Amino acid sequence: MLSNIKTVGRLWHKVLSRSLQTSSVLQHDSLFVHRDTPEDNPDVSFEFTPENEKRAEAILAIYPEGHKRAAMIPLLDLAQRQHGWLPISAMHKVADILELPRMRVYEVATFYTMFIRRPIGKYHLQVCTTTPCWLRGSDDILNTIKNKLGIEVGGTTPDCMFSLSEVECLGACVNAPMIQINDDYYEDLTCQDTEEILNELKCGNKPRAGPRNGRFAAEPLGEPTSLKSEPPGPGFGIRSDL
Amino acid sequence: MSYFGLNKLGTLLNIIKESGGIRASLYKLYRMDELKLGTLIGTDKYGNKYYENPRFFYGRNRWVEYAPQYRLEYDGSQVPAEWFGWLHYKTDLPPDKDPGRPKYKWMADHTENLSGTTGQYVPYSTTVPKIEAWKPK
Amino acid sequence: MLRITAQKSLAGAKVSPKHLFPIFSRSSTDVAKKPEKIEVFIDDKPVLVEPGTTVLQAAALVGVEIPRFCYHERLAVAGNCRMCLVEVEKSPKPVAACAMPVMKGWRIKTDSEMTRKAREGVMEFLLVNHPLDCPICDQGGECDLQDQSMAFGSDRSRFTDIDFSGKRAVEDKDIGPLIKTIMTRCIHCTRCIRFASEVAGIDDLGTTGRGSDMQVGTYVEKFFLSELSGNVIDLCPVGALTSKPYSFTARPWETRKTDSIDVLDAVGSNIVVCTRTGDVLRILPRINEDINEEWLSDKSRFAYDGLKRQRLVTPMLRDACGELKPVDWEAALLGVGKVLKAAGGNITAVAGGLADAEALVALKDLVNKLGSEAVCIENSFPLDGSGTDLRSSYLLNNKIAPAEEADLVLLIGTNPRLEAPLLNSRIRKGYVHNETEIAVIGPKIDLRYDYIHLGEDPSIIRQIENGQHAFVKKLKSAKKPLVILGSDTLSRSDGAAILSSVQSLSRGLQDEMCDPEWKVLNILHKVANQVAALDIGYTPDLSKICESSPKVLYLLGADDCGITRADLPDGCFIVYQGHHGDQGASIADAVLPGIAYTEKQATYVNTEGRAQQTLVAVTPPGLAREDWKIIRALSEIVGAKLPYDSLEEIRYRLEEVAPHLTRYGCAEAANYFCEALELGKKTNAPIDTSPLDVKQKTLEDFYMTDVISRASPTMAKCVAAVQKQNLSKY
Repeated sequence: MLSNIKTVGRLWHKVLSRSLQTSSVLQHDSLFVHRDTPEDNPDVSFEFTPENEKRAEAILAIYPEGHKRAAMIPLLDLAQRQHGWLPISAMHKVADILELPRMRVYEVATFYTMFIRRPIGKYHLQVCTTTPCWLRGSDDILNTIKNKLGIEVGGTTPDCMFSLSEVECLGACVNAPMIQINDDYYEDLTCQDTEEILNELKCGNKPRAGPRNGRFAAEPLGEPTSLKSEPPGPGFGIRSDL
Repeated sequence: MSYFGLNKLGTLLNIIKESGGIRASLYKLYRMDELKLGTLIGTDKYGNKYYENPRFFYGRNRWVEYAPQYRLEYDGSQVPAEWFGWLHYKTDLPPDKDPGRPKYKWMADHTENLSGTTGQYVPYSTTVPKIEAWKPK
Repeated sequence: MLRITAQKSLAGAKVSPKHLFPIFSRSSTDVAKKPEKIEVFIDDKPVLVEPGTTVLQAAALVGVEIPRFCYHERLAVAGNCRMCLVEVEKSPKPVAACAMPVMKGWRIKTDSEMTRKAREGVMEFLLVNHPLDCPICDQGGECDLQDQSMAFGSDRSRFTDIDFSGKRAVEDKDIGPLIKTIMTRCIHCTRCIRFASEVAGIDDLGTTGRGSDMQVGTYVEKFFLSELSGNVIDLCPVGALTSKPYSFTARPWETRKTDSIDVLDAVGSNIVVCTRTGDVLRILPRINEDINEEWLSDKSRFAYDGLKRQRLVTPMLRDACGELKPVDWEAALLGVGKVLKAAGGNITAVAGGLADAEALVALKDLVNKLGSEAVCIENSFPLDGSGTDLRSSYLLNNKIAPAEEADLVLLIGTNPRLEAPLLNSRIRKGYVHNETEIAVIGPKIDLRYDYIHLGEDPSIIRQIENGQHAFVKKLKSAKKPLVILGSDTLSRSDGAAILSSVQSLSRGLQDEMCDPEWKVLNILHKVANQVAALDIGYTPDLSKICESSPKVLYLLGADDCGITRADLPDGCFIVYQGHHGDQGASIADAVLPGIAYTEKQATYVNTEGRAQQTLVAVTPPGLAREDWKIIRALSEIVGAKLPYDSLEEIRYRLEEVAPHLTRYGCAEAANYFCEALELGKKTNAPIDTSPLDVKQKTLEDFYMTDVISRASPTMAKCVAAVQKQNLSKY
């Protein structure tokens, strides 16, 4: 009897799931329309700090009269650095500075993925999971972070310290696997390195950026294997009779 | 007598007599376009008289003589439903002789077709008018 | 912002709209050195074009139409839809015809294998994310995507959605009560964005996001409120932006289209009235390069639902109890006729702004025949000085289209954005493309372009006239100055003084003009037929009506004159003839139902003096009749029969009065500027110190200005939307 109900239920579910139309899943992890939230609404006041005010002036001074709108991206970046993320009132502020319609600022702020338009943790962990990093074990790094912080991709820890995102190639394939934390690259990672980095960040220290396995930048581990001799002087490789 | 067709004259005289004189016969002829002799089967409550004469061919042997108050304004819908059956050979029993006919208090009176009169049925539209007129305050 | 970049980029690329279209090439200043024409070949047909012409325009010259979505000849080139890709010989890749200027000797192939494949490919990409909801889409039947996919698309689809992931879906935006958005249908041509920022001057629309997540919208919750917003519906090549009031009403092939004229402002925009079964379903603009180009203001486009409400459909007479009761025509005409006869010439007629020229001339003839000269219009105009005797003192003399060529515009006591949105779009076009400078004397208003605010004090006009004001220097140095005087200013008590002052300052500038065709002095009216009424000989003096204590007051569509019962002597009989029950009908003793502009063939003269006629699109409602016929019938009952029985005959009478009234489409130029000035000098009245004011200041005031738009629910929604927007933080 029970199994009969189950079968009917399953069939019914099948019927329903075929006949119900749903639109496609959200393709992007952020929205391209604004929704007022307690943290992000036009009433939240945003003003540049006096230091940033000076920086903004310096940025504006680069561009000639009539082309001040070119300062939009640097100013938005400045605002994001000051506030941690980019609230709508910051966009309005930039629009006011540049004397542009607000829509023109929204357009730019939504176009670039590095402008983050919702609250985010102090440290933004961007794990590269594109092929080279993936082959070198980026999944392990990602899992380590997930387990350590207890958040999923796209999530933020309750103390607003860490946000985790999965990103495409950050151009450090030679040092794979790697994560970007705010402005710094942490490369050649192991799970242990990752935990160390997170621990240090939790303690409030700034771990040393760059490769973790001891090599310098993208040089080979150990010593250089080529271009070791003195560079040849002028006239190298030229026919002697010339 | 029948050889000379004189019996027809007798019938005519009979008809005139039955109709109530020459004047009445002429009026009847004017009103109904024919003069027929028949047996009065019954009269309905509106005054219409129903006749039968089996001498005529089937289909013409039962007829109605509309009540005089209708004058020339008579029409088929003035025959009430109970006589309609007899008149159209649905039954041979006239209503007063038919015991099986239902008679209830709630049965409505017969109404004639009121089309073309002030009492006619006018359907009303349920759609909103296209133009909303101004109403003075 | 837009102004500077547009100017710079156009100067660099030499594709300023001025060079592109014959209509723009009216300016004769830069003809000195014409560059040599270059020869290109479109499908092997040679054509000589100006340098800087794009491939698409060159193709249009030989009659080859290249498919396009984003390109629009009145907007900046965007080049993002890629539908106009064509093959150019020796070019390895197809080029976007809308953005690529032709080079000498190019051989362009608009129907080659490569071109066709490119089009099919682009079309396929567009359709991958376009919903297949044509059967429920309002654009169906007039959709560029439908048409072009039929003509240029592939005959089969490779779109197989094996994962059932569905097409891209975008949430709809609420951008106001006029425009319905179904953003999933959007193909990102950005025409609406460009229109909003270039023509309407409202930078509220834009693209947010990137790649396949890009969407067109406002980003924040904000209405797209502009007096020209409805035009994005026409611009949208797909069904992403459709008309909200018209939604799900009809298919374009079901409607009957009647060419007509808009009467809700004094511009006289050309329109097409779409009707079905005696119902006006929508109003679309009709191209007229001299007046409205291809735009239409929102009031003209959406107020048509006012034609179905508050209509007068039957004659009415006030009965013994003092209530208006419907009567038949005979009783109404006899009743009014009796009163008119008894009045013995003590009659005053007042015509409103929507009255047509035929009715105006008939009413004037009737009143004159009955022995009265008191025929006036409700919008007053100074009578001192030259008054209304010379047309030059009440016309937009320089016409609407040349306004975009002006290099300096002085607006005095007017708000062209709301009084004549299409004139304002011309001024804005000059502002964006021509570096036009604009100065305003009057209240500070939002015109959607920057202007120099000279102040509200009318004495500034005198100062400029006398050369004491600093602005005079600019005026004098301008090559094509334009002075536009608003009708609100002229209805002031010192209107005559202001008019003569403006006349004299314009005269000073006119004398220095090298182009005699350029007229400096311009008057901007607010109502449709003010010019025709003045041409026919109506006197614009309302104040004397009440003083003359008429026995009969005949209101011909006059609802805004502000006359109340209390202003009139006891026993004055008020006749109202018009199409809407509004202020006029409510004070009337007799109501004669006339008809509105979509229901009659009638003459209207716009503010530049251009006579145009409306045509019958729908039949009049109920017992309503053509206005001049009512007056004609009345004249017979009164015993002063008017000598015209048909439209031709009354038009002949119009021609007798003023010949230009029947020259449809032509704007009769006015002269006698000097004489008008001389007459004006005689007044010598002082100018008040009270600041100049305009009645329509903000967008709220735009939507409901006459009986039709006041009866329109859509317009009421617009006003509510503006009020809601004003409360919004965005």
